[in-house]
Amino acid sequence: MLRKQSIWVILTTTFWGTIILFGCSSPQSNLLRLSSWVSSPSETELFKATLDDFRRQKPDLAFKYEPIPGNYSEKLQLMLGTRTAPDIFFLKGMTAPSYMSFGILNPLDDLISQSPNFDLDDFYPFALEAFQYEGKQYGLPKDFNPYVLFYNKKLFRDQGIDSFPSNWQELEMMSRQLTLDQDQDGKTDQYGFIVEPSIEMVMPFVYQNGGNFQNPDGSLGITDEPFIEALKFYHGLYKNGIATMAQDQGVAWNGDAFGRGICAMAISSGWLIPFLKDNYPDLEYGILPLPMGKQKATVAFTTAYSMPKATKYENEAWEIVNYLVGKDGMESWTKTGIAMPTRKSVAKANGFHDHPTFKVFMESAEFARPFQVQYSERGFEEVVVALQAIFYTEKEPRKAMEDIEAQIKKYRLVGSK
Amino acid sequence: MKELKIQRILFYGLLLLMTIIYMGPFLFSLSISFNAEQDVFSWPIKLIPEKWTLANYQRVWQDLPFGQWLFNSVAITLIQTLTNVFFASLAGFAFARLEFPGKNIIFSVLLASLMIPGIILLVPKFIILNEFHMINTYAGLTLPGLVTVVNIFLMKQFFETIPKDLEEAALIDGCSYFRIFWQIFLPVSKPALAAVAIYTFQGSWNEFMWPVIVTTTREMFTLPVGMAFLKNEFSVQWPLLMAGTILISLPTLAIFLIFQKYFVQGVASAGLKE
Amino acid sequence: MKLSSKQKQQARTAYLFIAFPLVIFGVFTFFPILFAFFISFFDWNLLIHDKPFVGLANYFELFQDRVFLISIKNTIVYTIGVVPIQTLLALVLAFIMNQKLKGRAFFRLAFYLPAVTSSVVTSIIFVWIYSKPGLLNYLLSLIGIEGTDWLTNPGTALFAIMALNIWTTSGYFMISFLAGLQSIPQSLYEAAKIDGANAWQQFWKITVPMVRPVTYFVIVLGLIGCFQVFDQIYVMSAGGPVNSTTTMSYFTYNNSFKFFRLGYGAASAIILAFIIFGATWLQKKYLPSEAY
Repeated sequence: MLRKQSIWVILTTTFWGTIILFGCSSPQSNLLRLSSWVSSPSETELFKATLDDFRRQKPDLAFKYEPIPGNYSEKLQLMLGTRTAPDIFFLKGMTAPSYMSFGILNPLDDLISQSPNFDLDDFYPFALEAFQYEGKQYGLPKDFNPYVLFYNKKLFRDQGIDSFPSNWQELEMMSRQLTLDQDQDGKTDQYGFIVEPSIEMVMPFVYQNGGNFQNPDGSLGITDEPFIEALKFYHGLYKNGIATMAQDQGVAWNGDAFGRGICAMAISSGWLIPFLKDNYPDLEYGILPLPMGKQKATVAFTTAYSMPKATKYENEAWEIVNYLVGKDGMESWTKTGIAMPTRKSVAKANGFHDHPTFKVFMESAEFARPFQVQYSERGFEEVVVALQAIFYTEKEPRKAMEDIEAQIKKYRLVGSK
Repeated sequence: MKELKIQRILFYGLLLLMTIIYMGPFLFSLSISFNAEQDVFSWPIKLIPEKWTLANYQRVWQDLPFGQWLFNSVAITLIQTLTNVFFASLAGFAFARLEFPGKNIIFSVLLASLMIPGIILLVPKFIILNEFHMINTYAGLTLPGLVTVVNIFLMKQFFETIPKDLEEAALIDGCSYFRIFWQIFLPVSKPALAAVAIYTFQGSWNEFMWPVIVTTTREMFTLPVGMAFLKNEFSVQWPLLMAGTILISLPTLAIFLIFQKYFVQGVASAGLKE
Repeated sequence: MKLSSKQKQQARTAYLFIAFPLVIFGVFTFFPILFAFFISFFDWNLLIHDKPFVGLANYFELFQDRVFLISIKNTIVYTIGVVPIQTLLALVLAFIMNQKLKGRAFFRLAFYLPAVTSSVVTSIIFVWIYSKPGLLNYLLSLIGIEGTDWLTNPGTALFAIMALNIWTTSGYFMISFLAGLQSIPQSLYEAAKIDGANAWQQFWKITVPMVRPVTYFVIVLGLIGCFQVFDQIYVMSAGGPVNSTTTMSYFTYNNSFKFFRLGYGAASAIILAFIIFGATWLQKKYLPSEAY
């Protein structure tokens, strides 16, 4: 009888053992991994093509491209905290301060200085600075993208408008002219403009109005007069019925609404160009710098390649990054205008300054500002919620901002002044 | 008699209304999944497609690691179902039929743990698995659900209804307890085992919160997690989304249709035993 | 002597039989409960190496956190709205199913289908139904009402998700009630019929009191489920718009796995657990589980 029991013990332990063995071998391959977010199929295809260019040059350096769908920043941080992060990943300039302050990224300075041909001075300084923290470089900017104004040429023609909005008053006026109820059923079926309750969309107007999210002295600027005024103007376009929102129309995002002709103007950036080309190839559109307020300003987004502190493949990863932000890689990635090169030499060599559409982006870069603050993502979330309250529940803008001010102050990043 | 007739009509009217409410959403999503028109944006919506196609199913299958997700879901569900059936019945047998010191205390502690809301375990379980480097592994996905208290409880309740004389004869013949369990108890416990199996199957197949937290890369997703991410990727492309939802519902539906009887027994007995 | 050695052997076998489950529960249930309290006293950030002890600071912060207070309110509204309706609906469905009826298996399947389907699947289907150009607004337009975008409207989002929850769980609890109904002796109904009671009276005077133990069970399970609702919120609204669908479990998830403040998240889960205990205790006190 005892013998039977011991057989039983053996059975259990083997079972247990196989489970553990099975569990520890995951399909997460033992290969260098590179991750990006997923914004549009066109962008993913383009990025894959750039990677293929690298593969042709270095066929023996094996790596895997693993886009992360869904909430990118959330998943990426989870990966970084659980040692499952990819060895190279996109890092948004907007959220870079929190990543850098947590000390989870690999500083790149040594790798850069070991590569004599790298030429750091070739980069636009504003793009490099977005990824510096306590004197170290934690990411190398792959591209930048300023917000510009897209307009639908046909809809402008239909209303006999032959000029373009150059300031807030004109933006409002033309939006009104372009807002139409064509079938006279009392429901607007074409809007002049489209808004979005997101802080990135509000910030260009705030900057134009001389305001700030975080003032140079570190204090919060979200209840200062210039901020509130800009927010009220932006919200006013929606409130007065001359701008719409994507969800009001049942479309996925602003670009989609613009492509369908639901709105005649939209603020967007380089990523809209390949999207329109793929989905609305017949659309006639033009690109303008943002209309100005008290001053010219726009928000520029910049994205970098970064590495986690705990990468097993530091040198291999660097080789890939070195190619991607090098002259060839950057040229391959930016040639369609999906984003602007962060290397002056690449912009110059490829005629970005003379190109009919790209030049608008390059001009915008001169008065563009990055949007970066020393607050954690919970702070951003508070702002998003406040903006939703303004746009969905008609909460008074000043009240909405005052209500969250004290809460946001709590989410100041650790270690920031 | 007339009153009875009205009652009858009312009753069937109610029945019909309820059926439409409960089945309608599935039928419409099925219909949309065959819609060739990607743009269901047009108003008014077409509930019945003008052009039918299977392309949405093909695209969901090809564009996404659907096969990998299916494999993960099947593997996890299979392991958890097998371990639950085996270990829950074994433990249930011990609690129902064997005498040992501390039996009542252990059992009441287990029962008390049923009162613990799962949410409180979320963060500590995550930290523990992270310490063991088990985040984003099959171990992390399966280990916490290998056996559950509810199943032990169900099996214990069932074994207590089996007459004692069966095992007494076997004991006199010198059979080990494991043999009694294996050769006498298990064969007569098929309905209860089936209820446990189906219960567990349904639970792990549909489990969402835990895999969302424990998986970080696409390859490790289970079907529900993959679907939730699909929603971000395809946002308002309803025909594709609906094709995906139909695909992941099919296995549960099939299992349910085949084992309907045991399903109902399982839920019912869980209710009555309380 | 002989007996004792037999007992010993029996005990040894029993421990062997329950060893595996006990290890699993030890590691994934009992230890984590204690660990949860421990974590909640620390500023435990997944991404920051230093994890300073902060005492009760997480708890104090929670009660000053506007979003947390909103989440308590939302959770209570959710539970109070869902539990009674789903319980009543489940009972009505079970009552229907318990009548002499052709195609009973079909109807049982129809009502039970939402309950066995993955919550992610039903959520996605309902995101479509509730969208601006969706099914619900289409039906409303047939009777001349212009609907809103149910899930991005802060006034309707929570109620929309509640309706989905009722739809999915009522079929599940119907099965529980059905078993309870079938155990009611037919003679009771016959007696009532002789006394001239109609179907409605029979339902309230016999059925409802006789299934009280099942009702108790259904309400407890319903409470626990509603207090911890997560899947639907995650898929359909991510807590928005304007925090109108942030429930306590979603708040816990968000702070733990989006902002990675695990200590803070653990503290909020502990408070949620105490609220659930409180609710079940209240129910036990005021809603007796015994049948007449």
